[in-house]
Amino acid sequence: MERRAGFVSNMVSVRTLGASSLGIALCAPVLAIFYLSLSTNDGLWPHLIETVIPRYFGTTLILMLGVGVLSLLLGVGTAWIISRYEFRYGAVLDVLLTVPIACPAYLVAYAYTDFFEYAGPLQSGLRDLMGWSSPQDYAFPEIRSMGGAIFVLSFVLYPYVFLMARSAFQMLPSSFYDVGALSSRNVFWTIALPLSRPAIIAGLALILMEVISDFGTVEFFAVETLTLGIFNVWLGMDSIGGAAQIATSTFSLIILLLLLERHARGRRRFHDTARKHTFMGRRPVVGWRAFMFQLACFVPFGVGFLVPVSILAANAAVVQSAAVWGDVALIALRTLMLGLAGAALIGLTGLAMASVSNKRDLPALGVLAQVSSAGYAVPGTMLAIGVLGFIGWLDGFFAQFGLYLSGTIAVVLFAYIVRFQAVGFGAVASGLSKLSPSTVQASRSLGMGPYETTRRITLPLIAKPLAVGFVLAFVDISKELPMTLLLRPFDFETLATYAYQFAHSEQMELAAVPALVIIAIGVVPALLLNHFSKR
Amino acid sequence: MKFILRSAFGMILTACAIAPAMSDTVIVYSHRQPYLIEPLLDAFTEKTGIKTKVLYSDKGLAQRLKSEGRNSPADLVLTVDIARLSTYDRMGLLAETSSDVLEANIPAHLRSDDNTWFGLSKRSRIIVTSKKRVPLGEIMRVEDLAKPEWNGRICTRPGSHVYNRALMASLIAHHGEDEAKRWATNLVNNLARKPQGNDRAQVKAIFEGVCDVAIINNYYYGKMKYSDETAQHDWAKAINIVFPNQGEEDRGAHINLSGAGIAKYSKNKEAALRLLEFLSAPEAQSLYAEINFEYPVNPLGEVSDELKSWGAFKEDQLPIETIAKLSKPAQFIINETGW
Repeated sequence: MERRAGFVSNMVSVRTLGASSLGIALCAPVLAIFYLSLSTNDGLWPHLIETVIPRYFGTTLILMLGVGVLSLLLGVGTAWIISRYEFRYGAVLDVLLTVPIACPAYLVAYAYTDFFEYAGPLQSGLRDLMGWSSPQDYAFPEIRSMGGAIFVLSFVLYPYVFLMARSAFQMLPSSFYDVGALSSRNVFWTIALPLSRPAIIAGLALILMEVISDFGTVEFFAVETLTLGIFNVWLGMDSIGGAAQIATSTFSLIILLLLLERHARGRRRFHDTARKHTFMGRRPVVGWRAFMFQLACFVPFGVGFLVPVSILAANAAVVQSAAVWGDVALIALRTLMLGLAGAALIGLTGLAMASVSNKRDLPALGVLAQVSSAGYAVPGTMLAIGVLGFIGWLDGFFAQFGLYLSGTIAVVLFAYIVRFQAVGFGAVASGLSKLSPSTVQASRSLGMGPYETTRRITLPLIAKPLAVGFVLAFVDISKELPMTLLLRPFDFETLATYAYQFAHSEQMELAAVPALVIIAIGVVPALLLNHFSKR
Repeated sequence: MKFILRSAFGMILTACAIAPAMSDTVIVYSHRQPYLIEPLLDAFTEKTGIKTKVLYSDKGLAQRLKSEGRNSPADLVLTVDIARLSTYDRMGLLAETSSDVLEANIPAHLRSDDNTWFGLSKRSRIIVTSKKRVPLGEIMRVEDLAKPEWNGRICTRPGSHVYNRALMASLIAHHGEDEAKRWATNLVNNLARKPQGNDRAQVKAIFEGVCDVAIINNYYYGKMKYSDETAQHDWAKAINIVFPNQGEEDRGAHINLSGAGIAKYSKNKEAALRLLEFLSAPEAQSLYAEINFEYPVNPLGEVSDELKSWGAFKEDQLPIETIAKLSKPAQFIINETGW
């Protein structure tokens, strides 16, 4: 017995060692940014604080607040309707509500600007209709504004909250609802929402991290967030150190988010021990109420997917050149391969980090696991510079063996892991947290070793969350732009980089072709997501 | 799942195995979009048999080059503005290159003193005005943009963009910081809308009637006029172009440069130099004018008929390096005035 215990703890320490080195490697690019921020002291801060920093911070907070509120309304509202009521086309709408997740926000921003601006179809039509002839004749909201950014980001990001909220609502035992109904309380506000809060906030945290790191949308709409400030200082003042300093100061916001999530989860941890559940059933509705529900569920899909995709399709239809379509087909295949490989790696690293993150004897590992997923909230280009710093250091070290990483696909894949680790780790960790410890303990006490237990008990039980993490990572990778752009090998295009070079010079029609394919590639995973996260 | 894992590992292994050793190929790190430089690189390959490979990114290539250090495969760096070139220079990423051909082809004030970077094409920052709403001759100087009569009538892209920053730097050089800041403050007051979009978007705004005057780089006019997207033809038709500061006593229109330098650790400096010399020779220089509506740096390069039709103009003779040096105070003013 003694020897066996010793053997196991050796095995465990090998696993611990592996996970810690992986964690450290994943943190390295973020650490490299910290290092950069310490390397310069060119006295920019007094000027920055006096002129732009308060504005950047304020703008970022307003954007986070706006997107947070709107996407909560959209996501939680529709999730409640879908899980609580039964109405015609409900099942179809349930599926459609997920697909906006396939649309990169910056492409939706391009499409809507095309549609809403002065020369676009909407305003032209209005002018014809009303007989107006110049912008002075009428007032029309400016799409390139804070409002526009909140609108676009909310309508493509709300599915994160929708998916989390829906599965949380559906997992609640029906007895809870019965109790609420018996005491004639509002079931949504007093039962469903408080109990689903951790899941909803986890989805919200993902959304807000995307908002902090977004560059494409805010640049296009000229909304001056901290991300824009980073580029202002880096390229405008030629101070990469100053830029890194702003980037690290955005960490304060991220730590705030992580605390928020922690707090939301609180110390409440409930594992279901009952053998058999009955879940809440759906209440059938018909007539005008059903119509209202259909409308409420259709609008987010229409605004977040149908309209922008139609605009892009109209643009792409103009492109007759077979060569463009041929190029795009080849590039699409490569993007697909890259996405699959990257998502598989993220699934593995997520599994590795989550499996050691709640070891009670090593709390430091838990912290490392959390920190190693911070890359999600760092603007892509900045993180790419962190990756460059780390890889450059590695290459310098390994050059004596003739091994050379910079400019290879391996670096691009590593960058994806660093950036999207949060997605994989988050999914697996949430799956593990629902797993009752008694299941694992039972398996161990019946004589199965730790590996045997992992393989035969834990893995099958967390297969679904793992699949969710894989699919989310795949969608994120297939639309990733800034890191791929900077770290890729020569003559290497993905759909996002290919679309970018045209969109960058206002060649919307040429950009629309790869943009549509990016979205098409994302739709299937979005449907899978919907399926996996059902009860 | 197993299949995916296997292909992932396969990809990593092949990725690591490809060593960047291709001596008959010049590797170009470019801040210009690939489709813009392809015609020039194709012409080079046809003439010399030397192939090229391009890595394009609008940001961060200097950091990549630096982190790659001695192992970098890069041979030549191409940028669209002088500030970036001097950044590469300051970071010590460019090799000193001595070449009689380059010295003959490129006037001294359009290359660096230490022969690390070389200007390849000139672009002027010009004023464009609405054909309908602004009579010719109403605005002649960049300084005029600060005058009260243009209140609510000007559109520009954000001040932090390199092209506007360089213009700001030139105003600091000519008038001093205080005067330059006053100019920027008044310009910002005159804007019809928050600075946004790129240079083409400003012309579009004039076409739409949102504003009457804008600042753009000259070549965008040609690109819109001959764009594949026919809608842009109408934008171009809506404007007149004005080369500013052309008065007899005046300094001339602000000029920026696109340029190149050979990477310090290039393993293929000879071929890179051939490409650089090719780009500065009359044939390629004419292509810059023909395809991209830019002005050749080589006096022997032919200015295309289209460019000629826009009229000859006097250039600001301010040393290009001065603009690069004043980039930071220029950005300070841009931040302070909220341009």
